[in-house]
Order: sequence, then structure tokens, then C-alpha cells
Amino acid sequence: MRFVFRFPDIGEGITEGKIIEWYVKKGQQIGSGDPVVKMETDKVVTDIPSPRDGVVSAVYGSEGDVINVDDSLIEIEIEGVEGVEAQEIAQEKPVPASEKPVAEKGFGVVGTIEVAGDGAFLPAGTEGLDSVPETASLEKPVKILATPVARAMAKDLGIDIDQVKGSGPAGRVMKSDIKSFHTARPSVGHISEPVDDHQVNIIPLTQIRKTIARKMAVSKQTAAHMTIMEEVEVSELIKLRREQKDGFEDLGLKLTYLPFILKAVAVGLKSYPMLNSELDLERDRILQKKYYHIGIAVDTEDGLVVPVIRNVDRKSIADLATELGEISAKARERKLTMDDFKDGTFTITNYGSIGGTFGVPVINYPQAAILGVGRIMEKPVVNSGNIEIGNLMPLSMSVDHRIVDGGEATRFLLEVAGYIANPVSLLLKN
Amino acid sequence: MEYDLIIIGSGPAGYVAGIRAGQVGLKTVIIEKETVGGICLNWGCIPSKAILESAKKYASVAELSSFGVDGIDQAQISFNWQKARQRSNSIIRRLTKGVEFLLKKNGVETVKGTASITGVNAVTVDGLLYETRNILIATGSLPITIPYDISDKNIITIKELFQLNQLPEYPVIIGENAHAIELAQFFAMVGKSTTLIVPNKRILPDLDKYVANDLMKILKKSGIKIIINPKVVNGSDDHLVTGDEKYRFDVVINAMNRSAVLPDRDINLELDDGFINVNSRLQSNFTNIYAIGDVNGQCGFAHSASAQGLHAVNVISGIDEEYNFKRFPINIYTKPEIAQIGLTEAEARQADIDINISEFTLTANGKALIEGATEGYIRLISEKQYGEVLGVQIMSSDATDLIAEAGVLLQLESTVFDLSKTIHAHPTVSEIFMESGFAAFDQPIHK
Repeated sequence: MRFVFRFPDIGEGITEGKIIEWYVKKGQQIGSGDPVVKMETDKVVTDIPSPRDGVVSAVYGSEGDVINVDDSLIEIEIEGVEGVEAQEIAQEKPVPASEKPVAEKGFGVVGTIEVAGDGAFLPAGTEGLDSVPETASLEKPVKILATPVARAMAKDLGIDIDQVKGSGPAGRVMKSDIKSFHTARPSVGHISEPVDDHQVNIIPLTQIRKTIARKMAVSKQTAAHMTIMEEVEVSELIKLRREQKDGFEDLGLKLTYLPFILKAVAVGLKSYPMLNSELDLERDRILQKKYYHIGIAVDTEDGLVVPVIRNVDRKSIADLATELGEISAKARERKLTMDDFKDGTFTITNYGSIGGTFGVPVINYPQAAILGVGRIMEKPVVNSGNIEIGNLMPLSMSVDHRIVDGGEATRFLLEVAGYIANPVSLLLKN
Repeated sequence: MEYDLIIIGSGPAGYVAGIRAGQVGLKTVIIEKETVGGICLNWGCIPSKAILESAKKYASVAELSSFGVDGIDQAQISFNWQKARQRSNSIIRRLTKGVEFLLKKNGVETVKGTASITGVNAVTVDGLLYETRNILIATGSLPITIPYDISDKNIITIKELFQLNQLPEYPVIIGENAHAIELAQFFAMVGKSTTLIVPNKRILPDLDKYVANDLMKILKKSGIKIIINPKVVNGSDDHLVTGDEKYRFDVVINAMNRSAVLPDRDINLELDDGFINVNSRLQSNFTNIYAIGDVNGQCGFAHSASAQGLHAVNVISGIDEEYNFKRFPINIYTKPEIAQIGLTEAEARQADIDINISEFTLTANGKALIEGATEGYIRLISEKQYGEVLGVQIMSSDATDLIAEAGVLLQLESTVFDLSKTIHAHPTVSEIFMESGFAAFDQPIHK
């Protein structure tokens, strides 16, 4: 029988992807799990594995094509499968990557339910379950009524079709609506006139850049940003790191300051849960997260990505150092998967590693806060009336003032600063 | 007593508007000076297609033997005009009764008489004054005068054709559009010596040139003498003369293009070339006076007139929409039938659209072979950027029905990709749609 393998829903609201490289061609034998195609989505570049053994009988789309979730990727001729079994396979829904049981680490994520700890969870909506967390239904996509040409045109022009009011029967979005939306759209400082390519480099947007642009704009337009700054004396931390560094190196680990900051934040968040929350205005409520998944903004060649370290509160400094090492390697090689981006509750941006000091970071919406960490600098400090050389780490934190008040933000930041200044207290506390 | 709406004329524009107005609760009166149903039901679409169907049946008897029907003596076969006319009349009776019933059912009053518009809110019928908020003019059209030197006593219209007890043996039809072509083919199929005089550079000027050319060949092959755009035609009592050629006739049928039948009026209605000028809401220069159907000169087809009727009632009910005058099927009930919707090749090229033209012929279609009706094809015009279907032309025995699929494609701004993904049942003639969809961006399967 012939099995059509479609571009699976890999979660996180991904609806389209760009074909970067085909690993298979027509007539080729393929095994279950073998990579079929390298896809760039707006979050990651990832290999899509084959769900079946067989011979590739058709390949759809060329490198560079942008395709939608559920579009056909390849057809696989599966030998010796007929009748009922064939029908069963044909009706099989592609399993979203996020719902595939992963042996190594598993955590409750949107659309899945944690039932018995790590590594064991079921897809949402499975019959027989008593309840499904409400978050599962929050993200149900609604397909708006639009003509095929209107959809294609909106995609071409980078227009979010949900924003367009339809003039057709039953409010169907017609191509004329896309055209008038396009012409009416204010050009905010960008060049919409024909450009002279001798004067201007024209760079097509990558999926990652599109996502960054959209997310940043949403964050700035939605959250009421407020930023506070603090300097913290970290001589103790420097000392501790220096003492421990070699020991870690023997284990093949690079010990940076980041695991300590991660840990300090996680402990601080437990005292000030509002900073680990999400505002749900649609239902007039605040979702206070009881898990501490902290995203790390990573600067890559292609742009900003924010992989998430999960359950920071439950991990040791060594665990965190290990995971940070893995994540930065994956980010460099563009091997991060959707699961690496899910469910962050707070974000740290470490621009100090590039040499920056203070900043006004943009919240990773819908999170409530983001902490910017600057470069440690030697500065004069006054200690018991004497001027000494201190090591100061600048911290800049933006919060969503809609749910976090100034006092709370300051108290949180001072507590975190305290742990960083006195890492032993941090380690004793957690 | 004040009405919400007075409709003048009960043809396919007026009666459909009337039913709709009744449905949405407008207090409505419809005024008709002759017969409910207008030209379309009584002398146009319905009877002309009814006698054409009789003629097609008659002509197809000769083909039956190849289908395995034996025992037909061709010498015994004849066409009975009286019966064909009778059958047509019974269809008309049934349909007009149906329309009268629907108007009544929806609470629409019908008044027999000749209406005259005596004010922006006033209509008088035989001395009786009706006051109204809105007026809908749906008075239809009549053929224009023949531009040749032929005595009036030799000229009839289709309405008078139905009053003849015997069909003419040497009919001459003058006209360029569907009505003229269909009549010419009707006479040719029932064995009359037929002449078609086309007072234009080509037949069917609105039809894609490519298809019109093919139809010309079919008409000529069936024995119709066709004279294209003659400069002068003189008529004696039994001969027409143009240049050096003489054409015998016993009846000349005026199937010319049509001019508006305007109601008597005391208001200054703005006209354009004799037709009532309307905007895209079908309003005249008075916003409460609408003109729909033939009388506004936008399109001479009944289905378009009905659509305009619905649209005008929507506007009156406060649904503010613009009417798309361009998008209607052109149907020609010849053998084979011809249908077209959307842009022709020439129109697309003139608009500077980068197009694909995909064709698929009926000779490769199973159902067409089964039915012995392989003359024809589909031509599908799509633009290259998104593959949007912009126009379709079909020549096939069921083209006038098949074109409905193309209408949906256009209404939904569909692409050749949608079309080729739509499973069409086998064997059906409609498979040519799917094939032409494939042909637009890839390869058709059966070619």
C-alpha cells in the first residue's frame, strides 16, 4: 500500500515550514526513523523522520518551498501491507513531535498531560481521562473563512489573515480584502516603495526573523514594560567559581556564572510567584506557574533563540552546567527541537557574555519578567569606610507592570542579587 | 396605502425580486401588463429551449441505429411542429402557474395593467395611484429594428413564430447572439433551408473567439448559410439580395440585440444608450428607484436578471453590497452546447494578466464516448501567480450545466490546485474539469 506522509504538526503553533534539504529521493529505500527532510520552521531547523519502512514513491516540493502543516511530504510504498492493516495505517494521524513519548526526558507541556512523572504522558483528548488541563484548549486554532487565492496572497504579502475583515458571503476574506488591507497597512518606517538594490541590500526574512519580529512586537504592544536595575558585588561568586572550575573541568563541564544565576532566579521566583505568572485577560485571571522553566536567550548566527531549561529549582549547579552546555551546542548546530522551546516561565538574557552592561530587555511574552545580566566589572566599592576594588555584576530586569508591582519587582531582584552575592546561602537554601 | 416596493414587470428579474421581497417581509406589489413570467417564461428561454430539445431529439433519431436501436425507418420520421409547440406550451403553463403560486405564497400582490411612474414615490396603474417607498423597474426589452431594407410584413419575432401553424421552409434569421444562433440551428435540425445573417463582424461577440470560431464551423457543417456582416441587404417578397448572392426566404425572424422597454414616466430617469443607467447597487439616478434585468442593458441573460433582482431587494433591505456585473455564465443551447464564464483569453491578455490556457478535449473522456457526444472541449484560463481560475469555456452536450462548477470556482476564487484535488466521479463529463486543472500546472492524466 501507499502511505502519504504529511508535514506533521510539530507543536508550538507552527503552521508552515521551509524545505531546506531533502535526504531522500524517489525510489529510495527508507526505514522508520530515517530523516526524510530538513525543515526550517519559525522556531527551529529540524529533521523530520520517516514514520514507516518502505520505498519512497513520490516526493513533493522542492528545496526552498514553504509548505503548510498537513501538506504531503512524501509517499511511501509499504510492501506486503494490504486490507484492514493498510486502512489502519492510512488513517493514522501523524503524531505531533511534541506528543511522541520521548525516552530521555518528558515533562508536562501544553497539549499533553503529565500522569506519572517524567517520561510518561498521554496526548490531550485521549478518551478515558478524567480531565484535560484548560491550557490544552486555549490554543485551539480557528480557521477563518477565506478563499484559496486570498490565503496565498496573504502569505505572500506577509499579512496575518486573521486580522483581515472579509467582505464575501458570511464574512469570507476575498483577494480584494487582502489587497485593500495591504494598501491600507501603515508602513512603519519601512521601505514599501520600490527599492534601489544598488543602495539597499534586500534580505528576505527567514522564518526565525519573522517569529522574532512578531513576538517582539506583540510583547511591546501588550505588556506594560517597566525596567529596574541593580549592581551586585560578586567577589564571593567569583571565588567559588574559581575554586570549583577545575573540578568541573575534570568532569568535562564548563562552569560559568549562569547556573548560579539560574538557581538564584528559581529560588527568588518561589518567594515572588507573580514573576512566574501569566496574565490571562480573556478569562480575567492570572496563571501562577508551579514549575520553574527558565529560558536562556541565545545569540546565534541566524538570530535570537530562547531554549528553556526545565525545572531549574530541582536541579543542581552541576546539572544546570551540563544542560547549558548541551543546549548551547545544539543551538550552534541548529539542532534544537520544539521541545527545547516549550513552556518557559521566565527568561534570562546574558548579554554580559558579549560585553554589555545594562539594558532594557523585552519580555518574552506571555511571561511576566526577563532578567538581563551584564558583564562583571571591577569598580571601586566602599566597604566599612574604605574604598576597595569590587566586582560588580549589573542586572537589568523588565517586568510586566500589569501583574507585577514595582515593590514586588524590587524585592525579587534584591533577593536574587542577594543569592548571587552570597552563593553559599543560595546553595544552602536549595 | 403605502407599499415598501412596487415592481414593474414580472419577468425573471421582477418575479424573483418579488418573491424575495415577500420573503424578507416587504409589502410588495408587482405590476404586469401581459403574462406573469415575462419574455423568458412565455416566449424566450423556456419555449425556445423546449422546441430546440424537440429538434435535438428529432435529429438524434438518425444516430440511434449505431446505439443498437433497430427498426427505425428514416423515411417515416418527420418533425411535428404542432406537437412540439404544444409540449412547450404545457411547460410554460406549468411554470407560470408555479410563479403565480410563489408570489401569492409570499404575500406579493399581483396587479394586471400598464404602470406609469408618476412621481418618485408614485406609480399609477390604469388611473389607480399606488404610493411606495421604492420602485423596481424590470420592464425588459424588445429586439431592435432590422438594419436592412426588408419589408416589415415579412418580419416576425420569436413570439410570432409560436403563433405560426406551420414552420417556414426557408427561414432567414437575423442576429448575432445566442437567440439567433439557437433558432438557426433549430431550423437546420428539423430540415429547413436556413440562412443566418449576422449584422456584426462575428457571431457571439462576447464569447471567446476561439470557441466562437469552432461553433461557426459546426453551424456551417450543419448546412446553415451564414452571411457575416453584409453591407447592404435588400429584400423582395421571397428573396434577400446581398452583393451578388440571392437567398430565398418565406419568413424573416428578427433575433437582433435588444433595446430597453421603458415605462411611461413623469420623472427624469437618466438613460445610457436607451437603457436605464444604474450604479453597482442597481439604483437609478433616484436612489429609491432601481432598474434590473434587460432594461439596464448590463446583461441580457435571465439568470443575471434574477440575480440582480435578489441583489436590489438586498440593497432595499439594508444589505449594502456591490453587484458584480461581469460574473455570469453565457449559455448557448446549441448542439453541442456552449457555456462560458469569467474572462476570455482576449480579455485576460488585454488586462495584461500572465495566464495559462489549459485545454482538455472530450475525445479522451469516457462518458462523452459512451454518449456519442465527443465534439467539444474545456478551455480553462488561470493566472500564473496563484493559479486562480479566471475563466472557463466549455463545448459539450451538457456545457450549460457543467459551467456551474466553473461559477463556484470563480465565486470562491479557487485555484487550479483546488480543482485538480477535487475528485470528480467517473465516468462523467465533469472529469474534464479536473484534467484541465492538472493541465494548468502539470500533466493531465488522460492526455
